[in-house]
Amino acid sequence: MVRDVAAGLIARARRGLAWLNAPLPPPPAALRRGPWRRGAFDSKLRSPRLTSLLGAALGVAFTICFVTGLISHFIQHPPFWFSWPARPVNLYRVTQGTHVATGLASVPLLGAKLWSVYPRLFGWPPARSVVHAIERASIAVLVAAALFQLVSGILNIAHWYGPMPFFFTAGHYWSAWLAIGALLTHIGVKLPIIRPALTRPTPDRTGPGTLSRRGLLGTIGAAAGVITLATVGQTVAPLAPVAVLAPRRPRSGPQHVPVNKTAGAAGVRDALFDPAYRLTVIGPSRTESLTLTDLAALPQHTVVLPISCVEGWSSTGTWTGVRLRDLVALAGVDPDDVEAYVESLETRGRYRATTVPPPHVRDPFTLIALRLGGEPLHPDHGYPARLIAPNRPGVLQTKWVARITARSAS
Amino acid sequence: MKTARRALIVIGALVMTYAVTGALTDADVKGGALVFLIGVLVAHDAVLLPIAIGAGALIGRLVPVRQRAFVRAGLLASLAVTVVAVPLVLARGRAADNPSLLPLHYGRGLLEAYAVIWAAVAVAAVRSRRHR
Repeated sequence: MVRDVAAGLIARARRGLAWLNAPLPPPPAALRRGPWRRGAFDSKLRSPRLTSLLGAALGVAFTICFVTGLISHFIQHPPFWFSWPARPVNLYRVTQGTHVATGLASVPLLGAKLWSVYPRLFGWPPARSVVHAIERASIAVLVAAALFQLVSGILNIAHWYGPMPFFFTAGHYWSAWLAIGALLTHIGVKLPIIRPALTRPTPDRTGPGTLSRRGLLGTIGAAAGVITLATVGQTVAPLAPVAVLAPRRPRSGPQHVPVNKTAGAAGVRDALFDPAYRLTVIGPSRTESLTLTDLAALPQHTVVLPISCVEGWSSTGTWTGVRLRDLVALAGVDPDDVEAYVESLETRGRYRATTVPPPHVRDPFTLIALRLGGEPLHPDHGYPARLIAPNRPGVLQTKWVARITARSAS
Repeated sequence: MKTARRALIVIGALVMTYAVTGALTDADVKGGALVFLIGVLVAHDAVLLPIAIGAGALIGRLVPVRQRAFVRAGLLASLAVTVVAVPLVLARGRAADNPSLLPLHYGRGLLEAYAVIWAAVAVAAVRSRRHR
């Protein structure tokens, strides 16, 4: 009885597989015009080797972007197994600078790759079988997701959100997984073509005087180089003078540090200068309420830390203030095993509050800063007090701090 | 190789499923993301690439053979830089109360990038003529 059922299922699966692979009737030959004509694309520069080389470079670039992007996502939405250290101080800054620089350098790479496989968009017949149609659909997903990532990324660093009818961070995140999944499937499908194309030498069939394969690859590399030199100065400060297309300059802004959210945009301008301002530190058994004068009277420490943005720019500042661990200790909590929930004067917004995990609360470099470069904080930099921690995204360095709740880490 | 291929295809399909279900259940991702996804695909494949290929064909007719490769290379690099620069040149992201955002003159910056590219093209063209 069971054997009959099993045999029936296997027979059905075989029929299903045969149906998926059965040849579909081709469209009428009269429709085969324009780019669908045989030999419509005659550039001798195209070859499986060119496509595979560009593909390998893109694979590396997208993997770098995926990993560095995931790090940023996990720091902001930590799964239970993820922990991020407080040192080295510049680690996050390097990951995000790499993320944006690699993404921008991928623009000429993706452009050349899509040019080299364009004739396949007009392959005839359009769908040889159902399996072939599914394969083609997965390529469409790969191309669309890859373009989505680069275009949305470029729009984001230019702060141009109009063309993006979605919350950038969420769209960019899910499209990243879509692109990586489609890429894995793509490599699996094309592996029999990729391996010989990369290992066996393929003669370059381009004529003398025309752009050769090496010429094209060299041009793509040079284009990536120009783009990188023109933008990476937004995080690599010594290159700032040549970064003519950088959305930020590291020393351009109030107190020589750029600003993302201004006090006006956060709606806190009135609350900042309220003489009744208090920084409230809440522990499980005690609450302390400190005025700005009280804060200035506590032991002050000075640290040199960067603000590192997910948008790929960073800027180093000299911050002076009270150690977060000292404030937490004031509320009667052991600073070595506690997470701090830091809230801003901002009443609305996704980033009005952040949770500082134990390694950062413990670290003596984490400050509630009162001064930047020796001067009291500019309102756009978080006056009267802002959080500054080592190796953290700029968006989590809460400004206009009003309240700190110390909670046991477990 | 067959197992490797099957594994890649299956894992890729699972990851894509994760991405789609995640996007569908995320309140921040409205239908707009799908519109954008299709939009960039159509804009690239139906507009940008045909124009680029057409320009390449035009160069084949207008530019003498000896300079053709160099002109093509220069235009390719220029196109790549332009794609990155357009949102900056348009500067729609600027905010009145935040001069640290997009502080530079990006139109001029793009022209400077073009100058560097075409200077390199000129140098390469001159050097190749010397080597003949």
